[in-house]
Amino acid sequence: MAGILKLCWVFLKIGVIFFGGGYVLIPLLHRIMVDQMHWLSMKEFLDGVALSQLTPGPLAMLATFAGYKGAGFFGALAATVCIFLPCTALMLFISSRYERFRRVDAVNHFLDGILPAVVGLVFAAAFNLGRTSLAGPRDFILLGASFLVLQFTAIAPMAVILGAAVVGLLMHFS
Amino acid sequence: MEKEITMDAPRVTLLQIAGTFFMIGATGFGGGMAIVALIERRCVLEKKWLGHDEFMHGLAFGQILGPFSLNTATFVGYYLRGSLGGILAAASFIAPSFLLITGLSYLYFRFNEVPELKSALLGSNPVVIALIVVAGIGMARRKAAGLETAAVAAAAFAASALFGVSALTVLVLAGCWGIWKGWIAGRAR
Repeated sequence: MAGILKLCWVFLKIGVIFFGGGYVLIPLLHRIMVDQMHWLSMKEFLDGVALSQLTPGPLAMLATFAGYKGAGFFGALAATVCIFLPCTALMLFISSRYERFRRVDAVNHFLDGILPAVVGLVFAAAFNLGRTSLAGPRDFILLGASFLVLQFTAIAPMAVILGAAVVGLLMHFS
Repeated sequence: MEKEITMDAPRVTLLQIAGTFFMIGATGFGGGMAIVALIERRCVLEKKWLGHDEFMHGLAFGQILGPFSLNTATFVGYYLRGSLGGILAAASFIAPSFLLITGLSYLYFRFNEVPELKSALLGSNPVVIALIVVAGIGMARRKAAGLETAAVAAAAFAASALFGVSALTVLVLAGCWGIWKGWIAGRAR
C-alpha cells in the first residue's frame, strides 16, 4: 500500500511538470525512474518506451509500465491515473472557461490568430514523422496510396491504418 | 463585427462519447497528431458535434500541459457534456492503451521480451502521415486560405518543423499577432 502511495505521489509530480508533451518526457522519466527511484533498469526503461510506442496512447503510458513493475495491475492503474490527472484537470478548467472568455474581444483576437498556426503545427507533425520514418520508395507509395484513399473516399481511416499494419506484418517490414 | 456564439451544442449521450473515444483509442495507432486527425474526422466532419474553430482551439489549449491527444479528447468531451463528458472521453481514450500496456507488461516482466510488432507499425506509419496531411489540408482550406493566414501557417510550420521551436511558443506568438491585428482593425474603425 505504501508502495502504491509513493507511486501516486511521484507520478502526480511528473504530471504537473509535464510541459510540452512527448519527447520532453523521456529524459525526465529516465532521470526519475532509473537514476533516482531505481524502479527500472536502463534496459527495462528502453523496452518500456518501445512498448508504449506500440499503443495509440501517448508516450506517458510508460507510467503504466513502471507502475506495473512496482505494484502489479493496481500499480499500473494508479500510475496511469496520477500522471494524467493534472493535465486532465487543467483541460477541464480551461474548457469550462472557454465559452465565456471567448466573448472578450482581446481573447477572441488571440484565438483567431492561433488558428492558422495550428494548421502549421499539424503539417509540422506530419513532416517530423515523415523525416524519421519514411525510408524507401515502398513507404512513399504507401503514403501516396493512403493519401488518395483518405482524401477521396469515405473508407474509415481506422480500417486503412489497420490494413497497412497487416500489410507491414505480412511483408515483414523492417 | 459581432460574432454569434451558439451555446446549444447537440445533446450527445455519454455512451456515444465513451464509444467514440474508446474506438479512437483502440485503433488510432500512430499517436499524437494522428489521434487528433481521427478525432477531427469523427467528431467534427462526420458527426458535427463541434465546429472547426472550437476543435482547433481545443487542440491549441492541449499543447500546454501533458499529451495533446488526450487533452483534445478531454476538451471535446467537456464541450459536449461538461466535466463528466470530459473525464469520460479521456478515460475511454486511454483505456485500450492501458489494457494493452498492462498485458504487454505482464508478458514482458515474465518472459523479458518485447513482442515483434515493429513491422506492423512500420507498415502503418505512411498511412498515419497521410491521415495527418489530409486533416491539415482540410484545416488549411478553412483557416489558412488567405495570403496573410497562409504566411502565418507557413511560419508556424517552419518554426516547429525546421527550427524546433516549441508548439506553445508558436501558438502564443500567433495569438499576439491576432491581438495586434485586432487592435489595428479596431483603430481603423
